[in-house]
Amino acid sequence: MCVQHNCSGCVSRRECLKLMGLSAVGAAAWTTSAAAAESEGPGPTDFVDPAKLRPKPEVRIMASFLEMPRPYWLGWPGTAYDLDARQKEYRELLAQSAQRLGIQVDLRPQPINNEADLTAWINQIKQQQPHATLVILQHFACWGWASMVAKQSGLPLIIFSPIGMAFTGHVAGPARTPGIYVVSSLDWHAVEDGLRMVRAKRMFEETRVLWIRGNQRNETVLERLGTKVRAIPRDTFNQEFDKQPVTEEVKELAAQLRKQAAKIVEPNEQDTLNSMRAYVTAKRLLARENANALSMDCLGMVEAKLVPTPPCGAWTLLQDQGLTAGCEADLWGAMSMMLTSYLLDRPGYMNDPVPETVHNTLIAAHCTSGTRIDGFDKPPAPYILRNHSESALGVAMQVLWPEGQPVTLVRFTGPNDLIVDTGKVVGNVQTPPAGGCRTSVEIAMDAVEDCRDVQGFHQVVTLGNHFRVLRGFCELYGIKLVRSPRFSTFI
Amino acid sequence: MNRWLYGSGGWTGLLGLVVGVGSFGWSLAAEPVEFSSPGFPPSRMDSEGRLVEDWGLVAVRLQGQGLTEGSVKVEAVQLDGCIPAAQATADRGPVRMILTAYRSPIFPAGVDVLTVRLEEKAHQPIHVTLALDLPPQVKVDLTTARIENRIVLSVPLETLALQAVRDWGYCNETTAMPGWAKPEGPADPAFANIRAGMGGIPILYRFKVEPNAQALVVLGLCESHYDRRGIRPILCEVEGARPQWVDPIAQWGRHKPGALLFHARDLDADGQIEIAVRPVPGAPDRNPILNVIWVFPPGKPPDLKKLIAGQLSSSAKYYIDVGGQNDQCFYQVGKLQYPIRLSADEVKELTFWVACPGASAPVPETTTWTPASLRQAARQVCQAWQKK
Repeated sequence: MCVQHNCSGCVSRRECLKLMGLSAVGAAAWTTSAAAAESEGPGPTDFVDPAKLRPKPEVRIMASFLEMPRPYWLGWPGTAYDLDARQKEYRELLAQSAQRLGIQVDLRPQPINNEADLTAWINQIKQQQPHATLVILQHFACWGWASMVAKQSGLPLIIFSPIGMAFTGHVAGPARTPGIYVVSSLDWHAVEDGLRMVRAKRMFEETRVLWIRGNQRNETVLERLGTKVRAIPRDTFNQEFDKQPVTEEVKELAAQLRKQAAKIVEPNEQDTLNSMRAYVTAKRLLARENANALSMDCLGMVEAKLVPTPPCGAWTLLQDQGLTAGCEADLWGAMSMMLTSYLLDRPGYMNDPVPETVHNTLIAAHCTSGTRIDGFDKPPAPYILRNHSESALGVAMQVLWPEGQPVTLVRFTGPNDLIVDTGKVVGNVQTPPAGGCRTSVEIAMDAVEDCRDVQGFHQVVTLGNHFRVLRGFCELYGIKLVRSPRFSTFI
Repeated sequence: MNRWLYGSGGWTGLLGLVVGVGSFGWSLAAEPVEFSSPGFPPSRMDSEGRLVEDWGLVAVRLQGQGLTEGSVKVEAVQLDGCIPAAQATADRGPVRMILTAYRSPIFPAGVDVLTVRLEEKAHQPIHVTLALDLPPQVKVDLTTARIENRIVLSVPLETLALQAVRDWGYCNETTAMPGWAKPEGPADPAFANIRAGMGGIPILYRFKVEPNAQALVVLGLCESHYDRRGIRPILCEVEGARPQWVDPIAQWGRHKPGALLFHARDLDADGQIEIAVRPVPGAPDRNPILNVIWVFPPGKPPDLKKLIAGQLSSSAKYYIDVGGQNDQCFYQVGKLQYPIRLSADEVKELTFWVACPGASAPVPETTTWTPASLRQAARQVCQAWQKK
């Protein structure tokens, strides 16, 4: 595992260091060539560090404890509640979370216990415009103040209400108000999830996704998410691919791809070299365009026989490195993949949904699943090296998803709506006898009576049940969460 | 220089210098200016300061006593040091009017943002009326103007607030559905009608009060579509009062009229109290509904049982049959006219969103775009493109 440049175990430590060396050389060459030829970007033999392509935005959060004047008497949390001890504990936890996530948290040194101080703090928030606010409630009479923070600042608010600060009536309203994420619990990790949501939103805002299709070149910005979409002509990719030689990096990566496979079925050595040429080409394009993600009309390119290999294998590698690489120029599919990458720190797997009507399951089928499905910093899932099923060309991984594990399906249908469903992996479908795509994960849906009613297309499957976190993200940023119908209307 | 940055060449050559009396009330016009964003076809501000789009012209008129005719200067400018824009400046005696138009590159094809800035220059208050003229085939609603299904111009809520207002009424486009509900038992007749925020749009009403005044507001609800709880909960907000979250089926049952009391106050001292009925995130049905509004002076709350039964409606200061025959819009609909009072040396800005070639303007009630975020989007894209 190469920790330093986050190449996700694609090469050994020795090879990693060699690539790091290449990186330094490449960076210098990039600067030089940029100066000489304005915007050409890195050359075909320059190393582009994938870790540098993942956005690392500044995230600023202003936080405060809200308490009533001391000493406490009757009324929750009660006289026995040790305010100083709890606040010390939460200060430490907050500092640790901030460090883990790489965000800045400005925690007010003293708790707020009167309206004048609250007003002053809200004014400070308005002036400094952080990306979000956090209040830690220390009395059940503080809920009104929390609402004031949300309403008057107009910024996303995380409310941490440790058990003993609220009844159902306190939580119900704010928890269902867009722009507020309420944690009524003693589990600090849920507060860290909230901070992670803010970071994910900032990552969306700092992302430029390359939309490789058609023949237009332009740039737009997505509503709500703030992501930049740079459309570039589809031919750009195959022209750059043609320029891409088999470099040392390409050879190393191709060798690793073959070595780490549980089994190799169709691809030969040249196929893996071509696949990794596609990977390096994609990195170069991303660097040249100052972009962080891509979605390409890959099928159109294969149909026109413009490239010897579909990019499936290359896309798997990018996804394992935290870089969204979407198929078929499906922009909202790519945005859904980005959500699992930025919010859940794991790749998502965009797929075609197939109902299995005998077992009443859903088969999620495509050729570009990531392998680090349990998290970017976790061991990869086993994979079999296959070709792209539809064209019988190049390299695609059949990633074997762990049976019995929970999964979450997400799909943005636009910037304002997100479909979220959950289920459990019950098997991996083999091709043959099945047709379709190489990775085919069979999922028993949790709360959908009939598999034919599962909503969406090109949903993104990710390992683990993340419904609570996704719902929180939707609440914090006013996104409408949609679920497939629990009860079929056709039965 | 990139064409999109200062792309006036083609039009300038074609049109040259134009002399005449235009919408501004000025006599001398200048050269037209094109503007766009990277990769998209341009829009144009013509020599009279009118916006020329693929669907027609947008002209801005300023009227008022004491205004004079003056010359107009149309020029290409850069906003924030990078955003290409067209600007028309006209001195109208006591008021200077500056129109600025730029392209915000929102997905998928952008929108033109037209800002009208009015500056009082004579150091004394003045009343003026600003009006937008659109082609005759354009149908003007509350916040949008359409040609068939295409929204060619929309009015952000901040600008809408400057329109002439009535004493009470709805302030956004929701769907009136007379006779939708089937209230059972003794019920005010207004319970039969509703407005629905189809597509998750909040239902917004406003009524006039003295600045800072208090009032008692009662919202009447009757759910007649669902018979299960948890399907259509709603969040009711009244300015100055604690918000109330209610599931009408759980609280009262299907076809059963119910009422919620709010102690309202004009918190922002603008002389209006706002009522909002919003969908609840995560609810299976997010189309909020509202049947009745009663407004009473502050003091002893009305007996809700009698109120629901329709016995107290005549004693209410405002009795609003939401979605019924006498329901009305808070704003003077159908005309894009804005009566504006400028204090001495005051500056006011109004923003409009105009459909650029091949695109529609956003719907103000549902979009999250704001004048500030549109400008930021333009700035970010222009800066990134310049770096290339």
